[in-house]
Amino acid sequence: MNTIEVDHLKRIYRAQIGVFKRSIKEVVAVEDISFEVKAGELFGLLGPNGAGKTTTVKMLTTLSIPSGGAARVAGFDVVKQANEVRKRIGFIFGGERGLYWRLTGDDNLRYFASLYGVDPSVSKKRIPYLMELVGLQGRGNERVGGYSRGMKQRLHVARTLLHDPEILFLDEPTIGLDPVGAREFRSVILNLQSQKKTILLTTHYMFEADALSDRIAIINKGVVIAMDTPSGLKQHVSDLSVVEVETFGASEAAIEKLRALPFVDALSIEDREQKQMLLVQTVRGAEAVPDVIAALEGQRVGRVIVREPTLEDAYVRLVGSQS
Amino acid sequence: MMSTTVKNLRLFWQGTVLSYVALFAWLRPVTYMASKILMPLAQMFFFVFLGSYASGGKNQDFYVIGNAIQIASISGIFGVTMSVGGDRDAGTLPYLFGTPSNRFFIFFGRAFMHIIDGAIGVVIALTWGVLLMGLDLSRTNLSALGLTILITTFSTCGLGLLMGCLSLITANVMFVNNFVYFSLLVFSGANVEISVLPAWMQVISNVLPLTRGIASARALAAGASLHDVAPMLINEIGIGIIYGLFGYFLFAWFETQAKRNGTLETV
Amino acid sequence: MNYLNLFRYWRTVLVVAEMSIRMQFSDGFVLFAIVFQPMIIAILALFMLKDKGPDFAMFVVVGSGLTGLWSSLLFVSGNSINVERWIGTLESLVGAPTPFDVIVFGKNLANVFQSLLSMVTSYTLAAFLFGYSLSLTQPLLFFITLLLSLFAFICFGITIAPLFIMYRSVQQWQNAMEFPVYIMCGFLFPIALLPGWTTPLSYLLPPYWAALALHGTSTTMMPFDQIAFSWMMMILFSVMDLIIASQLFKIMLYKARVDATLEVD
Repeated sequence: MNTIEVDHLKRIYRAQIGVFKRSIKEVVAVEDISFEVKAGELFGLLGPNGAGKTTTVKMLTTLSIPSGGAARVAGFDVVKQANEVRKRIGFIFGGERGLYWRLTGDDNLRYFASLYGVDPSVSKKRIPYLMELVGLQGRGNERVGGYSRGMKQRLHVARTLLHDPEILFLDEPTIGLDPVGAREFRSVILNLQSQKKTILLTTHYMFEADALSDRIAIINKGVVIAMDTPSGLKQHVSDLSVVEVETFGASEAAIEKLRALPFVDALSIEDREQKQMLLVQTVRGAEAVPDVIAALEGQRVGRVIVREPTLEDAYVRLVGSQS
Repeated sequence: MMSTTVKNLRLFWQGTVLSYVALFAWLRPVTYMASKILMPLAQMFFFVFLGSYASGGKNQDFYVIGNAIQIASISGIFGVTMSVGGDRDAGTLPYLFGTPSNRFFIFFGRAFMHIIDGAIGVVIALTWGVLLMGLDLSRTNLSALGLTILITTFSTCGLGLLMGCLSLITANVMFVNNFVYFSLLVFSGANVEISVLPAWMQVISNVLPLTRGIASARALAAGASLHDVAPMLINEIGIGIIYGLFGYFLFAWFETQAKRNGTLETV
Repeated sequence: MNYLNLFRYWRTVLVVAEMSIRMQFSDGFVLFAIVFQPMIIAILALFMLKDKGPDFAMFVVVGSGLTGLWSSLLFVSGNSINVERWIGTLESLVGAPTPFDVIVFGKNLANVFQSLLSMVTSYTLAAFLFGYSLSLTQPLLFFITLLLSLFAFICFGITIAPLFIMYRSVQQWQNAMEFPVYIMCGFLFPIALLPGWTTPLSYLLPPYWAALALHGTSTTMMPFDQIAFSWMMMILFSVMDLIIASQLFKIMLYKARVDATLEVD
């Protein structure tokens, strides 16, 4: 049974430019997106910034009206039966905002519980349960303004579960969290999945998508460019190896020279504090190492390793091939 | 020696212009008009009508002058306090305190533009008074009045500097601002003769700016000479200087405290 | 806007109202608008109007209370939707199954009742600090008028809240709308003092009728037919406001979901 059905969704924004000579600029945030999520599935929506992930989630959570196409959540149309959808879903948009910092954690939950029509007798029991579930037990009577970022995110999770929805939309939920906080958060998500909830998760953290999702759709420039299980997606890069080169401030010219080499399928760069990791995708594997290092002559080079491709590499290849 | 003076003057000037521009950069023409021209006018009208009702229509000039001069405190309290306290909100305090620049010029530079701005505001208010509320300035020594206006805006800006510093310490800038502004309405004699207030309130009136400025303006409108009001004006200047210096020392103390306790951004 | 929803979701309305008050309890700005500013206006008016006769203290209490009610309406109720956008909770509210207008109504209900504090403060000031003896000339009619006024203010509040969030150009005038209403609605002096051409404008403002009837039932013996006329005007304006608000909310929600200005500006 499909709990989420997305059928050729489209979303165009019209922005007015200029003060005196007004002109209308059209931005296509979502061009054409279709996918289905089965009940109990944890579905990942992956893509670079501006790909259309958040816009898609906003349409599915009834906060934005599609410019074209249709979508059904829990069997109800997101536009024509918005209220029915709202009763059955919970959503979190990543970040610190969206809570009343002047109220305590418990009061925030009481407030939202009443907005979702949860009976007071039910919420009285559920709120302490949820606070414990998300690891905030005992902190309920403190003002949210004093919570750390991680705590606020976890309170958001508690908020979305107040009315026990069958479907959850989590939009970049671990953004801005430190590694420990993010890890705790992920375990909460896995816990939810074990309770048979359907979860749609957007993220641009590859390992997160890989670790959590049953299936993933990769979105770029408003369209779905690939959709499969994580291992299915990795097949796209099964022929490749990745040469990881640690450099310390390599010049643009050197990087471009490397990128231009014929055996280099794709090159992505990861910044890690003072060093950069150059990730070279190539079918030649370890054989390519001497040529890679030659191309970086004159640059400071640290470790070099050759490894199997990950989901991230699949993503880079898929997204890179589109541009 | 000369270059230091020039450097300091430049600091002063840059500080004034920048703080003024920064403050109003976000304001669009409509909001500017609404808060600098319409709001003071509305406030004036309210109290002038109320005063008219109170006194049965006679003595309207008393209220017109009182409320027109009081407009100085819009710049002095809101304007200056925001200029000083604004650094904390904008997060630029650490940068400010990290410079070797002369604190004196930075600090007082912030108030300068508001003195001019405040004086203009009062002149506009008095013009409204003449045009719309029948204010009679025919017997007034206008240059003396102009001087009174400048001195009064100067002294309220002095208080504003102190309030600005206090706002760096408290969290609730706007509350303090509004409270001082409205208190000035009560204690300055703008709407109530000082002599009618209970003794303890009169004491407060006498240590606040604006009180003598308003009294001088009223005297001038009744035909007094500059010589007659000079003692009050000198006191008014003195009050402004005292508050300003108080604020300056508080500012310096605040800087050392913040650096010592590591509370520069937060407070 | 389906007004029956206000009854269907009565429990939610009360919770929203409760949380609104809790949040604003520690908000300095709100405290200033409903307690301190009216208090200072009361002090000034008590000094200025001393010679106006034995009932003037009550007149000042009611009049300064009204200034607090209006300031709260203008700034607190007026910003009630905007503030959710600034905090970042607007999306969560629109995406909740409770109709958005029910939530806003609950907020305004709280704001208006909370702003009664200004009348209480002025009363305390005049009775205890200044030592005046205060009494109402027509107590029962006063309280009925007060309830009707509160209702009219709530209706007005839910009309300006969507206006302020949809039209920036209107909100820019917010600061300039405070004192003119004090003047035009006769809070602390009769509008007879104003030039004649402003009178029709006064009649178009709901607070004018509230002030007229409140003063008439607290300090003078206003004849019942005049009081009833004021009541009628307030009810008329309330109904009009409810109709307009209903449309405004529809427009606002559609605009927000189509133009996508719900999140931040």
